Amino acid sequence: MKTILLSRSPLRILERASGESLGPGGMGVLIARAGVGKTACLINIALHKLMENFKVVHVSVGEGPEKIHAYYRVLLNELVNACKMKEDDDVQQLLENNRIILSYVNKSFELPRLRAQLDNLKEALNFSPDVLFVDGMDFESTAPAVFKDFETLALELKAEIWFSALSHRHMAEVNERGIPYPCDKVDHMFSVILHLQPEEGGLYLKLLKDGENDSGSGRKVRLDPSTFMIADG
Amino acid sequence: MSEGIKVKRNIGISAHIDSGKTTLTERILFYTKRIHAMHEVRGKDGVGATMDSMELERERGITISSAATHCEWAGHQINVIDTPGHVDFTIEVERALRVMDGAVLILCAVAGVQSQSITVDRQMNRYKVPRIAFINKCDRSGADPLKVAGQLRSKLNHNPVLMQIPIGSENTMKGVVDLVSMKALYFEGSSGETLTLKDIPGELVEKAAARREELIDAASMFSDELMEAALEDHVTEQVLIDAVRKGTISRELTPVFMGSAYKNIGVQCVLDGVVRYLPSPAEVENVAFDLAADETEIVLEPDPEKPLVALAFKLEVTPYGQLTYLRIYQGRIKKGDDMFISRSGKKIKVGRLVRMHADEMEEIEQAEAGGIVALFGVDCHSGDTFTDGSVNYSMSSMFVPEPVISLSVTPVDTKSQNNMAKALNRFTKEDPTFKTYVDNESGDTIISGMGELHLDVYLERMKREFKATVVTGMPQVAYREAITGKASFDYTHKKQTGGSGQFGRVAGFIEPLDEGVYEFINEVKGGAIPTEFIPAVDKGFRSCLDKGGLVGYPITGVKITVNDGKAHSVDSSEMAFSQAAVGAFRSVYMKAAPVLLEPIMRVAVESPTEFQGNVMGSITQRRGMITSTMEDGLFTTVEAEVPLAEMFGYATHLRSLTQGKAEFTMEFSRYAKVPESLAEELKTRLREKAKGEKK
Repeated sequence: MKTILLSRSPLRILERASGESLGPGGMGVLIARAGVGKTACLINIALHKLMENFKVVHVSVGEGPEKIHAYYRVLLNELVNACKMKEDDDVQQLLENNRIILSYVNKSFELPRLRAQLDNLKEALNFSPDVLFVDGMDFESTAPAVFKDFETLALELKAEIWFSALSHRHMAEVNERGIPYPCDKVDHMFSVILHLQPEEGGLYLKLLKDGENDSGSGRKVRLDPSTFMIADG
Repeated sequence: MSEGIKVKRNIGISAHIDSGKTTLTERILFYTKRIHAMHEVRGKDGVGATMDSMELERERGITISSAATHCEWAGHQINVIDTPGHVDFTIEVERALRVMDGAVLILCAVAGVQSQSITVDRQMNRYKVPRIAFINKCDRSGADPLKVAGQLRSKLNHNPVLMQIPIGSENTMKGVVDLVSMKALYFEGSSGETLTLKDIPGELVEKAAARREELIDAASMFSDELMEAALEDHVTEQVLIDAVRKGTISRELTPVFMGSAYKNIGVQCVLDGVVRYLPSPAEVENVAFDLAADETEIVLEPDPEKPLVALAFKLEVTPYGQLTYLRIYQGRIKKGDDMFISRSGKKIKVGRLVRMHADEMEEIEQAEAGGIVALFGVDCHSGDTFTDGSVNYSMSSMFVPEPVISLSVTPVDTKSQNNMAKALNRFTKEDPTFKTYVDNESGDTIISGMGELHLDVYLERMKREFKATVVTGMPQVAYREAITGKASFDYTHKKQTGGSGQFGRVAGFIEPLDEGVYEFINEVKGGAIPTEFIPAVDKGFRSCLDKGGLVGYPITGVKITVNDGKAHSVDSSEMAFSQAAVGAFRSVYMKAAPVLLEPIMRVAVESPTEFQGNVMGSITQRRGMITSTMEDGLFTTVEAEVPLAEMFGYATHLRSLTQGKAEFTMEFSRYAKVPESLAEELKTRLREKAKGEKK
């Protein structure tokens, strides 16, 4: 299952292009409209990282942990079915042991609060994440300086951070580098920018930025909308 | 939908111990003419307040068990559910919260928002209960109702809005200014029963106007009509009330009242608040599970014409028999009607139907959706759902988790023994997670439940309510044994002791079963074991599950396949094959790599965020695995899975770590293998203990 999952992971879009992931201190963002599957796609990437024995912190802004747990369970179930395998307790255990969900509801999210929680995790559990997923943060109201602080955090933790960003149908304009709202003003902060969008023929993941390397930009892969694995091999 | 439902209110009165909850309830019953004299909680007259119907409550001045009482105010029917203020009695709290549609949160004007107010408020949040606040004890020295109103925002994350301001302060408090009518209210007469409306005292006119502005600002967020009226400076009382009501029901606004229940100031305004701002049963969504459709969720309609769905939320023993409190969610109950209990399918005839007023009662002919009534002589369990038989709904999931902790109870004398039997019989009916049995080996009576606190509450009740003095053993974790490998068996049971002998051979294999306790597969071909003996083989294997060969705990998750055997035309019998199965199991069990399993609990600890590090540390120390945290305003909930064996004494430890500001809930999650490093030590200890018990 691990082999199948890794070989058809949406992150292959990066490996094909630049042959590497974000690496420690790197930040990536997945842009999509509401309801397209940002959280599920981000969780697929998280599962990829967990399979590689990375420690993952999933930060959910606005949704309680129950819902995120359920997302992980459902997606893993879809993957197990897609791989025509039996549910594997060891995989489940790997996920549970190496993943912690930090959830912030009722406008409770602030970076200093996240930092304090990560400190607590390190101190009390000796748990230091290799990858952070920040899902549901409002990019429209987040000042660029906050992303700088996230970058500092990523460097301190020697971790990579993946964000999800909500785009809008009615705000279709892109900047000169082809990056859409709401990342058009802060695209320099991210080494990788992915765009998830439904098109005729399916759900596509498009690589808008791949580090300093332009060769991979524009590449797109079709994703299976139930598993978020690459559909066309 | 009946018009009557709009004038019904099912409310709880909930607060920190000693903030005057019972006194307020007493006053409410007096003003609504349900009682004709008032008593104090620790009554000098030896009568005690009416709502505390259990002796223990009267003695301690606290409320443990929730009683429901009916009263009427301003053309509305109000059922007051008196809820426990002590955090440990969670089963009672959860049941009471389940049946109430709104609540009055009482705060002490001196002590302010205390940790238990926080806990109670959090519980209400979980059940999405809209509430109004009453700041009590405003007559006391050091009272500062405005500061406490501010704490509702800072400590509880409410959006409080003052509905009144006090006239006078501390022991000179005379009344309140109502910011809706902009009148001064005084509570005159010997018991404050005469409400007098006067003009606002001159020195408070400006302050009242400013606070009313704040009230209108806050409420206009919920009503365009109010916003327009405010712009035109033409706000009517009804428009303002409607807007506050909307905000309260959506739990985005908390109207704040103030006064002193003890000095009879402001209680009638709380009643007005209940009627004006808290929802009727028609405004609250309730769901049931359709047992006929795989427990699909069904939204109930508070319509008397629909099929009956009612929940038994409390049982009480009275001198006249068992009294069952029911909340009717849909349909109606009439005297003489037949009802069915969803759990058992049992038919019940409605005999005496009463409306309760704590220890007194009023006979009624029928009750409709939204109402709370009590029935006499109904043999049921607490939490049972009643229907008219045309639907098969349950208000709660039918899943009852297995108890995970047990302890022995030994009565000290014959009287206690009889009383203990009565108590245990009662508790098992009230609470499906509380179980009791007699241990065959030691002869001890064992009680078991879902946690240490859970059993503590029942032990205390046994002593106080049933006068049963018992000696308890140490709490025991319900370990299990399970196999992890596959192993084959081929066993022949042969016995010749004169007369007809016994002969039976069984062969096959055992292997782990993913889900469930036990599965028996018969793959015997060609009659190697005659068909009539197969059930005996199954029975023989099944009898081995009660006690595993590793330490002696029950076995779970085993699949046994029998594929061969042999019978003798004369000596084979059901007994012989049953014995053969037992022998086969004993011979193969240790070869299938058995392990010890321990109950793992899903633990959620809610605490102010500043204690999050301490809480996480305390969980890690207990072999716990943190799965998530949730930050909500000033609070953090840490969710973790922790072995039950490590949770003894956690409540005390947590209190000391967090200055008593944290609360935790614990429920059974699953069984998991005890880590190798601990298993050997544990096995040795358990074996020694088992030997000791036999001696």
